Amino acid sequence: MDPTRLSLAQASRAIAAGSLSPVALTEGYLARIAALDNELHSYVLVLTDAALEAARAAEAELRAGRSRGALHGIPIGLKDIYKTRGIRTTAGSRVYETHVPSEDAETWVRLRNAGAILLGKQETHEFAIGGPDFTLPFPPARNPWNTAHYPAGSSSGSAAAVGAHLCAAAMGSDTGGSIRGPAAYCGLAGLKPTYGRVSRRGVFPLSYSLDHCGPLARTVEDCALMMQALAGHDPLDPASADVPVPDYTKALTPRLDGVRVGVVRHFHERDAVAGFGRESTPSPVYVETFDAACRTLESLGATLVDLQLSPLIDYADANRVIMLSEAYALHEQDFRQRPHLFGRHMFSRIGLGAFLTAADYVEALRQRRELCAEFAAAFAGVDIAVSANATGPAPRIDAVGTFNTFTRASYTAPYNITGLPALSVPIGFENGLPLAFQIVGRPFDEAGVLRAGHAFEQASGLYRERPPIAASLPGR
Amino acid sequence: MSAPISDERWAFLLERAGLDPMLAPERFAELREGYQFLARIQNSVRKRRDRAAEPAHIFVHPKGK
Repeated sequence: MDPTRLSLAQASRAIAAGSLSPVALTEGYLARIAALDNELHSYVLVLTDAALEAARAAEAELRAGRSRGALHGIPIGLKDIYKTRGIRTTAGSRVYETHVPSEDAETWVRLRNAGAILLGKQETHEFAIGGPDFTLPFPPARNPWNTAHYPAGSSSGSAAAVGAHLCAAAMGSDTGGSIRGPAAYCGLAGLKPTYGRVSRRGVFPLSYSLDHCGPLARTVEDCALMMQALAGHDPLDPASADVPVPDYTKALTPRLDGVRVGVVRHFHERDAVAGFGRESTPSPVYVETFDAACRTLESLGATLVDLQLSPLIDYADANRVIMLSEAYALHEQDFRQRPHLFGRHMFSRIGLGAFLTAADYVEALRQRRELCAEFAAAFAGVDIAVSANATGPAPRIDAVGTFNTFTRASYTAPYNITGLPALSVPIGFENGLPLAFQIVGRPFDEAGVLRAGHAFEQASGLYRERPPIAASLPGR
Repeated sequence: MSAPISDERWAFLLERAGLDPMLAPERFAELREGYQFLARIQNSVRKRRDRAAEPAHIFVHPKGK
């Protein structure tokens, strides 16, 4: 049996039972990367020797009777904004093309201590915002369901690799939707935890008050296993929250009896076109699929309640002003002194921050305060909420323009602005490409979000649908 | 989307930001195209607000249990 067909959880159970070797699993993924990544471009650096050495060490530990837990011997990837000591970390930019950090991201330290094996560094949009940029030294990653199409970004390589079974799971980052967008387009589970839940230390920042780190995986259960290692206070991350971490896998149940689900329909049914124009019209298949997904939640015992919030564009605009202001502050010196080093998407997206004023930033923060209060009030009557994610299938990769992030509706920004945990889960397909919605929770209730996502995923069975490129290699 | 920006206004914005477009002319030309999107967003976040809508304590997080 080809072990790369397994979910992270299945591989974990097989390793724990002694029926799967971490070395065989790592070799399987490395073989797939060698055979398929020329087409996908999901990795910018493959750590073949180091990964095999780590796999042998993991196996030796198991033979000696020592297990580090569910991630012991599990091969993963890191978006190339996660710093890795002694290993090149580029942030997808010429500015850091040869940069070798002297520190590890805290999240990678936690995953490694939990037994995970690093297969390599994965393609990212430049500084986690740049878009699929063909002017950079690192070719943009492709969608595993159709390589002519966009995997979304900025955690594009991570999502493409997980989707094509080139790793068991991966780490992404999310400032306006960079975990959940790629999860949606690549048919994965992707969790943006609560702001403060997972350390950002040692990850290239994009926007201090909007950045979140989180996992991408093929199932919600896999995300839960990753979160068990990742979550928890980091006193050296100024944004980290000292909030107890529950057992995430214990929270997973097949039913949702008694769970009150707030459904935010107006984001896609009314606000997208009203705020962003006709190009943001959700596809009819998406609208139908979203409704069917809500009915599935109901069939699992949940009660649906309509939620009315501020228009989607209020969340998106506050998110953009804050992100551009904070991102430009980070890159101002390079914009002034060596702007030619930036790719065109990154330059034009972040460069707009040069023209924002202090008053713009403060007004956006005030708007954010209002929106956070509004969401907190809305959650008084429900346990979780659901809202749309990208409301149509992935576009072709050559159709993604520099300013798409300003002209198209963003369904993910509300949860960066409010800091709430949000999970993208597949809900169906259109033209052979995945569709998804988001499940949102109260602050630090990742367990509730994962529970709902897992129950939905088990009922829909969509996690079993894999892209053709994920098929086993010949002879395996 | 707002109206295209005048040459004078663009020159003023670049000078205020301390940017030299000659360092990367093509990049700055595209950046200028994007300014029209920014202008709409700047207007959008300017509203009358309640006094309580201040940047302090953005997140309403529970205390540790």
